[in-house]
Amino acid sequence: MLLLLAFAVQVVMPQRTIAIDDRLAADAHLAVGDRAVVSAAPGAPGDTVLISAIVSRGADPSEIARGEYHVRLHLDQLETLTTYGDRVDRFDVATRDSTATRRALAAINDAAFGFRAYPSKDIAVETSATFKVVSRFHRAIGVITIVASAIFLLCILLLKVEERRRDVAALRLIGISRRSVFRAIVLEAALVALLGSALGVAIGWLTSAAVNGYYQAFYRTPLRFSIVTGDIVLFAVALSLALGVVAGALAALRLVRTPPLRLLGR
Amino acid sequence: MSALLTARDLYRDYALDGTAVHAVHGVSLDVAAGEYVAIVGPSGCGKSSLLNLLGAIDRPTAGTVSFQGRDVSALGDRALTRFRLLHIGFVFQRFYLMPILTARENVELPMAEAGMSRPDREQRGDELLRYVGLQARGRHRPTQLSGGEQQRVAIARALANRPALVLADEPTGELDARTGAEIIALFERLNADGTALVVVTHDEELAHAARRLIHMRDGAIITQEVLAPNGSSGA
Repeated sequence: MLLLLAFAVQVVMPQRTIAIDDRLAADAHLAVGDRAVVSAAPGAPGDTVLISAIVSRGADPSEIARGEYHVRLHLDQLETLTTYGDRVDRFDVATRDSTATRRALAAINDAAFGFRAYPSKDIAVETSATFKVVSRFHRAIGVITIVASAIFLLCILLLKVEERRRDVAALRLIGISRRSVFRAIVLEAALVALLGSALGVAIGWLTSAAVNGYYQAFYRTPLRFSIVTGDIVLFAVALSLALGVVAGALAALRLVRTPPLRLLGR
Repeated sequence: MSALLTARDLYRDYALDGTAVHAVHGVSLDVAAGEYVAIVGPSGCGKSSLLNLLGAIDRPTAGTVSFQGRDVSALGDRALTRFRLLHIGFVFQRFYLMPILTARENVELPMAEAGMSRPDREQRGDELLRYVGLQARGRHRPTQLSGGEQQRVAIARALANRPALVLADEPTGELDARTGAEIIALFERLNADGTALVVVTHDEELAHAARRLIHMRDGAIITQEVLAPNGSSGA
């Protein structure tokens, strides 16, 4: 008889389950299979539920600074808990394709007064306006950094080549042609630029990994804060090589046009 | 002996702070094939300026320099550079070796510029390093060599394209007496093997190793003496 009662309770009132995010699981030391009480307010009566899943948070930049926890409940339980009934502020509808999306948008907008449906792309554009501004700001800093670095690199290369005055003079004195000297200097500058850019890419990649490691741990998010893409590497190497060749060529031209004895200070 | 190098009425003037300096003043000089000439004189007397003119490094204000009968003072810059590469070897006081190249690569440099194939120049590079006694140091960079060794590499480089004439400007100036003596011996051997040498120096021993000693003062040659093989004055 007792067994039957227990079975009936299980059938009538099955154990409700929830899913929590990994941040809550870590902070509250919860694991799958643990029981928890969910209520509308701290200390208020609630339901004992079974934690059936721990989910990872998405990489959403709008959430990183909020420090919120995510809990997924069954809809009816959520309604009961919040005493908000079946009213909702917002809901998402998944569709098969773009035609179905258009049909769903039209149907909802025609049927539901006070509601407005938007494609998720439009919402993403709307909500990411702040990030666009930040992104543009970053791009501006990037451009300024590149221009300043370019000028700095140009000056360094010019100075480095200038240090080779005596070598260039000696080469010219022993009969090495201007063209050969020019080629050698430009080639050397290009090699230095290539090696420098390889080193820069390695440092950039390591720094990026360190920045991501630190901030992902700090904000407990999978969001990548710094990205070194193939395009960025290609741009950096191309820019460095171009600057190296230009600086080398400018310095080489100046040196090969100067009489070798004057290069030796005579 | 036939004249290898002929200088006639050479003048070289410089403008220094608006004042004309007559570095070389009416010098005429013949250097025969296989001859060994030393030019001496006080600092600033025009020795190095004359050497620069003889080696087509500098252009005279007036006068001509002919090499094997060909007037080189009229050549353009490109032709002069090629002329220096193929016909004249230079040895400088401060060696001027390329620091990023090995000793053998430094020696091979003028040969590469002259268009010699890699196997040929490697063979010649080894030959020349053996000639100057540095066959074991071919893979060393200049910074790994002593001053005397660097100067010997520079001499090997000067001989790369088999020049008929080697010009040296104070080749023992940066070396101690013992190392300087090694360079003097090397020059004597080089000359004995048929290469003409013109050396500008303050070093008495090096000057007296030559067969002809030219004294300069105020840009002009004041005396010349022919030396006996032991360095004593013969004329």
